Amino acid sequence: MAVSDSHSGRLARFARAWTGPRRGESARQSVMVIVLGILLILTYVPLIYLAILSLKDNGQIYGRFWSLPNPARWANFVYGAQAIWRPMWNSILTTTISTAGTLVFASLSGYVFARHRFPGKELIYTAILALLMIPPILTLVPAYVLIYNLHLQNTYWALILPWTSGGQVFALLLCRSFFATLPEEFFDAARIDGASELAIFLRIAVPLSVPILVTVAVVRLVTTYNQFMWPLVVISSPARQVVAVALTQFTSDMGITDIGPQMAAYILAAAPLIVLFSLGMKQYVQGITAGGLKA
Amino acid sequence: MRTPRVAGPPVAVVIFLMLLAQTAFAQDGGGQLWRFDAGGRVQSASVTADGQRVVLGARDNLARAFDRAGKPVWQFPAANSVLGVDISPDGRWTAVASEDRNVTLLDEAGKPLWQFKAGRAMNNAAVADDGSLVAATSDDRSFYILDGRGKLVWQEDLGIGVSGVAIYGTGDNARVVIGSDDGYVTVYSRTGEHLLQSRLDYDVKSVAVTPNGATIVAGTSDGLVTLLDGASGQRLWNYKTGKLVNSVAISQDGRTILAGSNDKQAYLLDGNGKLVQTFKPGAEVLATALSGDGTLLVLGTSANAAQVLDRGAAGASQAASQTRQSGTIAAALFGLAIVGAASALAVRRTARGARVWQRASSGPRDLGRRMWQARISYLMILPTLVLLLTFNYYPAFSGLFHAFTDWSPGAKTEWVGLANFELLLHDRFFISSFQNTVILVIVQILKTLTVPLLVAELVFSLRHDRTRYWLRTLFIVPLVLPVVVEILLWNNIYDPTIGLLNQTLTALGRPEWARTWYGDANVALGSVIFIGFPWVSAFALLIFYGGLIGISEEIFDASRVDGANGLQRFLHIDLPMLTGQIKLLLILNFISAVQTFEVVYLTTGGGPGSATYTPALELYYMAMRMYNMGAASAIGMILFAIILAGTVVNMRFVRSSMEYEA
Repeated sequence: MAVSDSHSGRLARFARAWTGPRRGESARQSVMVIVLGILLILTYVPLIYLAILSLKDNGQIYGRFWSLPNPARWANFVYGAQAIWRPMWNSILTTTISTAGTLVFASLSGYVFARHRFPGKELIYTAILALLMIPPILTLVPAYVLIYNLHLQNTYWALILPWTSGGQVFALLLCRSFFATLPEEFFDAARIDGASELAIFLRIAVPLSVPILVTVAVVRLVTTYNQFMWPLVVISSPARQVVAVALTQFTSDMGITDIGPQMAAYILAAAPLIVLFSLGMKQYVQGITAGGLKA
Repeated sequence: MRTPRVAGPPVAVVIFLMLLAQTAFAQDGGGQLWRFDAGGRVQSASVTADGQRVVLGARDNLARAFDRAGKPVWQFPAANSVLGVDISPDGRWTAVASEDRNVTLLDEAGKPLWQFKAGRAMNNAAVADDGSLVAATSDDRSFYILDGRGKLVWQEDLGIGVSGVAIYGTGDNARVVIGSDDGYVTVYSRTGEHLLQSRLDYDVKSVAVTPNGATIVAGTSDGLVTLLDGASGQRLWNYKTGKLVNSVAISQDGRTILAGSNDKQAYLLDGNGKLVQTFKPGAEVLATALSGDGTLLVLGTSANAAQVLDRGAAGASQAASQTRQSGTIAAALFGLAIVGAASALAVRRTARGARVWQRASSGPRDLGRRMWQARISYLMILPTLVLLLTFNYYPAFSGLFHAFTDWSPGAKTEWVGLANFELLLHDRFFISSFQNTVILVIVQILKTLTVPLLVAELVFSLRHDRTRYWLRTLFIVPLVLPVVVEILLWNNIYDPTIGLLNQTLTALGRPEWARTWYGDANVALGSVIFIGFPWVSAFALLIFYGGLIGISEEIFDASRVDGANGLQRFLHIDLPMLTGQIKLLLILNFISAVQTFEVVYLTTGGGPGSATYTPALELYYMAMRMYNMGAASAIGMILFAIILAGTVVNMRFVRSSMEYEA
C-alpha cells in the first residue's frame, strides 16, 4: 500500500497513552468514523453509478432509472472493448515506448551528470533543469507546428518523441541525485579492472538503481497514459488515437449514444492504471513527492 | 587540440530550426478539394460521416453522388428539380425529395428502392441512420413519415409552410425534427408523439441535429442560427447572419455548425456560436453539409456550383507523404545532432562555462584536451540533449518568438509586434477566460488544501488499525480512474434527462431545481467546479498522510505532556510540520489550474457564451479552429509569464521545505 504501516503500532500505543485518561474518546472516534464514512460514500457514488450504468441498456436507463441492472448486460463490456481496444493498444504502446526511452536516456545522462567531470557540466545541467519552468501550454502550438513540419501528424512518433523527451527532465533529476549517493569505490574498482564507461554504467550503475528507475517508470506511465491535450492536437486519425481522447469521441463513432457500452469502456480504460497502481503505488507517491520537492 | 569557435551556439540552433520550420510550412493547410458545376441551382447537399460520399440535389433534375475526390459515383434522375437530399452517415441510404411530388429512397448504389407521392412538390427529406424511417416535407403544408419500405406511417397537416426536417436515432428510437414557418421546432417520436417543442421568433427554414439528438440547430428567415438543447428545447445561443438562412448543418459532436445564407456567405461556427470562418462563394448559399467530424464542408449555390472544402487537408495530405517523411526526420535529427553537439561543445567557450571548469584546469589551452578526454561523457548525454533541444527548447523559444508574429499555416511568418496581445485585449472570450481562471485557481487550491487534509487528519487519528488501513486504502482507490473518465462520468451525472443529479432532485421532490447544468450561464462554471465532489483528492491525501507519518513521535508525546487537545495539536504541531506539503500542493495546483483545459473542453466547451472559457481553451480554439497560431502563442506566453511569476514566488518556499526534509 501507499504508505508504510510501521507507525500504526506506535501510533496506537501513543493514542492510547494520549487519550487513555479522557472520557468520551470512543464517542469522538465514532464521530470521526461517521464523518469519514459520509465522505467515503459521496466519493464512491459516481463510481457505483458508473458500475451500474455499465450493466444496463438504454431502455433500462431511460425507463427504470433507479432500478439495478436487471438483467445485467455483461455484453456491454464486449461492445465497449470492441470500440476501444485499438485506442487502448495505441495508448499502451506509445506510453510504454516513450517511458522506456525516457528511462534509457535519462539514466545514461543522469549517470554522467552524477559521476563524470567534464567542461560545462553544471552549465548544461542548469540549462536542462530550467526546462522545469516551461509549462506544456507554452510549447503546445510550436510543438504541433514542428510535428506538422516533420510530417509526423497521425503517427505514433508524434506521441513517442515529445513524451520521451519531456519526461527526461524529471527523470534526470531523480536519477542524478540517486547515482550521486552510490559509493565511488564501486566505480573505481571497475575502472581499475579496465571496464569501459558503458560497461560500468550497465553492470554497476543500472543494477544498483533499479528502485529509482521503477519510481520514474511508474510516474511516467501514469502521467503519459492520462495525457489528453497533446494527442488531441496531433492525432486526428481514429486508428492512431489514444484511449483518453478516443473515449470522448465514443458517441460519434457509434452513431448514437448507447450509454451502457460507453460506461463499460470507461471502466476498461482504467484497467492499465489499476494494474499499475496495484504494483507500484508506493513508487508513484515517492516519485511525485521527490520530483515536486526538488523541482 | 582546440575546437573551432562557434558564435552564439544557442542562437544558431534557434535560427536553424526556425528556418527549417518556415521552409517546410509552405504548403497550404486546407482549402477547396473540388468543385462541381451543375446544370441548375444546387438546392441541397448531404455528406456521409466519413466524408466519402457527397450527394447533391440540383434544379437540373438530378441527384448526384460523388466520392471524396469529386469522382461521380452514381446519379438519380427525377422528373423535376431535386429540392432535398439526405444520405445516412454510412452512405447506405439516400432520401431524395423532388418537385415531381415524389420522395424516393435510394440504396448505396443510387438505385431507387421505393417512391412515395404527395399532392404537391416535396421540398425536403431526411432518412434515419439505419434507413428505417424517412421524413419528407411538402409544399402542401404537411409532412409525411414513411417506414423503411415506403409505407406511410403517419402524416401531419400543419397548415403552414414547412421545409426543415431532420432525423436522429434508429429503429423504434428514431426521432423526427421538424422546423416550420410558424417558428416552431418540434421533435416527434416515430409514432407521432410530440416529444419537445420550442418556439423561435421567426420562420424556421431549416434544421439539423446531432446523431444523439443532444443538439439541434435551426436557421430562420430572419438570418438567425439558433442552437437548441435537444433534451430541454432551451435556446443555447443565436448567431446573426445577414439574411435568410437557407440551410444549416452540424457535425456529430455538435461543435461545428455550417450555415448558408442568402447574403452570399456561409458561416462556420463552433459549438459556442463563435464564428470560426466565413466563406464567400459569390452567390446565395442554398445548401450546406458537414462530414461527421466537421472537417469536410459542402456548399451549394444559386450560381449552379457546389464546392467541397476540407479543413483537415493538412492531415489528409500528409498520408501521401509517408515516404518523404522518413527522409525529413533523418535529415532533421542528423542536423540537430550536429548542431546540438557543436553547441554543447562550444558552450564551454562562453565566459561562464569556462569559469565553471577552469577551477580544475590549468588554463584555457587545456580546454580542448579536457573536452576530448571527456568525449565519452558528451556522447552519453547527446541523445538527451538532442531530444530536449528539438522537442522542448526549440518549441519554447519558437512560442516566445511567434507570439509577436502573424503565424498561420500556409501563410508566411510576419512580425506584427504587440498586435496579438492587442487582439487578445479585445477578445471578450479571452478576458472572460482570465476572470474564470482566477476563480478556478482559488477554488482548486482551496479544494486541495481542505478536504484531503481533513481526511488525512481524521484517518491518522483513528485508533483502530484495521479501520484506518481500510479507510485509507478506499480513499486512494479512485486514483485508478483516468482523469478523462472522471470528467466524462460527471457529464453523465449532469445530463439533463437521465443524469443522476436531476433524477435525484426529481426523486427528492425538487424537480424545479433540476436544470441543464452546463447550459445555464449562471451555474455552468459552478457545475464545472463541482466536478469531483467531495474532492477527496487521493494524491493530496497521500502527500498529507505521508507528512503526518513523518512527524516524530516525540513531538506528539511532548504535546501530550503539555496537555494539548486535538485542535491545539493540529494548529501547533501538524500544520507547521506540514508546511512543506502544503506549499508543494499549492504550487502544483497553481500551475495546473492556470492551464485548465480538459475539464472545460470536455464539459461545456467554454459555453454558454463565454461563461466557462479558460485561457488554455481559448489557446486551443485559436490554434486548432481559427488557425491563428500567433495569437495562440501569445496566450501561451502570457500563461508562461504567470506561471513563472507564481513559481518564482514559491521557489523560496519549496527550497525551504527541501531543507526541512533533509
